[in-house]
Amino acid sequence: MFLQLVANGLVTGAVVAIAALGVSLVYGILGFVNFAYGDVMTFGAFVAVLFDGRLGMAMIVAAVLAMVATAILSLGLEGVLWRPLRARRAGFMSLFLASIGLALVLRQAIFLVAGPQPRSYDVDPYKVYVLGSVRLSGAQVVAVAVAAVAIVTVALVLRVTSVGRTMRAVADDRALAAVSGIDTGRVIGVTWILCGLIAGLAGVLSALVQGSFDPNFGFSLLLPVFAAVVLGGIGSAYGALLGGLVLGLATEVSTWSGFHGGVNPVYKPVVAFAVLIAVLLLRPQGLLGRARTL
Amino acid sequence: MSTIASGDFWAFVGVVAGIYALLGLGIQLEFGFAGLLNFGHVAFMAIGAYTMAILVVKLGWSMWIATPLAVVAAAAAGVALGLPTLRLRADYFAIATIAFSEIVRYVATNEETLTGGSQGTINLAGAGQAASYNGDWDRFESWVQSTLRLGSKDAAMLAIVWLVALASCTALWAAGRTPWGRVLRGIREDEDVVSSLGKNVFAFRLQALAVGSALAGLAGCFYAWQFSFFSPADFAPLLTFFAWMIVILGGLGRFFAVPVGAVVFGVLFAGTRFFDFAPFAWFDSAERAYLRLMLIGLAIIGLILFRPQGVLGRREELVLD
Amino acid sequence: MSALLEVEGVVRSFGSIHAVDGASFAVEQGSITSLIGPNGAGKSTLFNVISGFVRADAGRVLLDGSAIERRPAHAIAQAGLVRTFQTARVLARMTVRDNVLLATPEHPGERLLQSIVRPRRVRGRERAARALSDELLTLVGLQDHADALASTLSGGQRKLLDFARALMARPRLLLLDEPMAGVNPTLRVQLLEHVRERREREGVTFLIVEHDLELVMRVSDLVVVMNEGRVIASGAPASVSADPRVVDAYLGAPP
Repeated sequence: MFLQLVANGLVTGAVVAIAALGVSLVYGILGFVNFAYGDVMTFGAFVAVLFDGRLGMAMIVAAVLAMVATAILSLGLEGVLWRPLRARRAGFMSLFLASIGLALVLRQAIFLVAGPQPRSYDVDPYKVYVLGSVRLSGAQVVAVAVAAVAIVTVALVLRVTSVGRTMRAVADDRALAAVSGIDTGRVIGVTWILCGLIAGLAGVLSALVQGSFDPNFGFSLLLPVFAAVVLGGIGSAYGALLGGLVLGLATEVSTWSGFHGGVNPVYKPVVAFAVLIAVLLLRPQGLLGRARTL
Repeated sequence: MSTIASGDFWAFVGVVAGIYALLGLGIQLEFGFAGLLNFGHVAFMAIGAYTMAILVVKLGWSMWIATPLAVVAAAAAGVALGLPTLRLRADYFAIATIAFSEIVRYVATNEETLTGGSQGTINLAGAGQAASYNGDWDRFESWVQSTLRLGSKDAAMLAIVWLVALASCTALWAAGRTPWGRVLRGIREDEDVVSSLGKNVFAFRLQALAVGSALAGLAGCFYAWQFSFFSPADFAPLLTFFAWMIVILGGLGRFFAVPVGAVVFGVLFAGTRFFDFAPFAWFDSAERAYLRLMLIGLAIIGLILFRPQGVLGRREELVLD
Repeated sequence: MSALLEVEGVVRSFGSIHAVDGASFAVEQGSITSLIGPNGAGKSTLFNVISGFVRADAGRVLLDGSAIERRPAHAIAQAGLVRTFQTARVLARMTVRDNVLLATPEHPGERLLQSIVRPRRVRGRERAARALSDELLTLVGLQDHADALASTLSGGQRKLLDFARALMARPRLLLLDEPMAGVNPTLRVQLLEHVRERREREGVTFLIVEHDLELVMRVSDLVVVMNEGRVIASGAPASVSADPRVVDAYLGAPP
């Protein structure tokens, strides 16, 4: 039973981790908390449903198309919203509030176009993989495998490619980067594309794991994702990953009966929130973040 | 189906606007003055509403005792949230407040014996009985209606809500002009400077949060009376967002701008229901609701882009950075 | 005279940077003491530690014999140690007068309950505070700007406002963080006069971080020199300026 919970936790954690990675990158490079991220993920999930369900394509193709569509959306939003705001020297509060407005617009647009009924992907729900005492559905295995690959890919991109290195430079110190001749406009564009791809993937994977989803599901994922980002250390990509895994494990394992009967599974999201608040109190810089000075 | 000229409909809109004005006043104090990004405001509304309903239904207390206690409970919850989280930076604090409001909603949904669970307060007296907490309130409303010689109960509700909202507005305005209010404004500007002058920034913020939460609790009680029963789903984060919109719409930093923002928002939101022309005509009524919410989201983005000081604010006094 | 402020072995690092590496010195009651040193010597960090904005990793800070290194910044200010900031930080969207009034110490009106319950007492205190603020604004020559928003002030005027505001808090010890930076020479002389006058009239003790060495030597009773996080010399201006270690520090320091 315990191992099953650990396995479930790793699946949840992997998916949260990949979403958290995107949020962390936006925060690190663009300097604000993007409240619309959950709804961008929802957008990705629904685009995939369009291709998978209606047009009957293979899940993989649908997912890739969803990622591309989400990347295009993110880039479009950069041109229409974020760049004009930055031109008006908007600070992180204005950007945060604008992202809340954007979240509303995106979510309602999805409701409008796709309707409120729950959707699911055209995958075999009965396929089960058994590993010792652990049972995982096909969706879960795919999710964790793809998430792992995606995480490694993004990590390599950031570490090895020149564009990745400039992104890290901008994250470290934007003013300095601009003065050193780095084309911050281009880096920002690349960041949105990358985060769009990640958000699209995270949306599809979360929807896959959840099974059935409606236009609200991305937003409801946002808080556990924020919790993971803060837990790992805001601005630290590796921290977001670690935070996601830890959070996924903590939420699932907390229901284990060995812990005084365990937390009522219904309260799992509350565990995530409680972890978030605890981290904010005890170690606001997170596990891997740097402590702030005056 | 109400027509655009229906008095009852607009009275209803007016009441809801008044409730939002109370919510907005709390946010004006917390953000417009103390610089706090509280996105969990709706949680205190829920705490106020539930405390009042539970005390009336389960303990049989009079509304006149239950309501002040509900407001105090909301304020206490604000202090409880603030004590551990106020030392955090603004956006971290915002996330913590959202987490808190979700926890409250979760607890309300799942603790059925305490709150009636997901079906709401109708369940408060136990299964099979339809609980009501409106007894005292109905009597009070009738008294107001006859004393003021008003045509309907809705008119009485409208009068009471707005009387309270405007009284709160005036009280807050007066408080803002005291030395206490001055320190809050200073904290909004530069909390390090205020600390360096010997003021306990944390304590002031906590007070602003307590008062703001109390106002939200009061708004929750009015919500409860207006709708006669409520459930956890009524206190969705969207309400906090609407309250924020109203404050930004009216203009940050001025208390009297909040009722103005609330009325404008209420009229726009309700008025769009009657839009029969394109593009609204293309959609059925369920879909129009989504379209209207979309427009609200676009409106707030537009406000931040083009007029961040709001309808009544002045450019130099811009509070949004 | 006993030392009003004693700094003993303060250490503060940021990661691998030892900003303050064991600094010790004392500030006598009623003196004007200057803290000088090349850039990166640790002066600002030490200021932040003394005023409670940064926690020391080790060491003690004593104000009038009481240890304050663990107290929060506002408590230290209430104990009489007030500081200004290197870049004059005015409360931009408030009026000049409100900036100064905010510094009023122990104003009953700052307790909301008092404002409600004892309005007359609050009003009386506010009137007295306004009179004092007008005096201070006149002292620094900003009286004509009293009702303007602080954001309309020039850089030099902001420094003056910072100074007036700090004085309003009735400090025993006033820490001035580069008060002359960005200020024109005439204004510098004025500020200097204000400092001297406060010391004479009110017995305010001053600890000043400054780069204008000529000014420092003219006005200080004691000069403390820092380099690389440590105090390398302290004494009367004449002896310090002749001290070879001090000359070395300034000549050998990066620009």
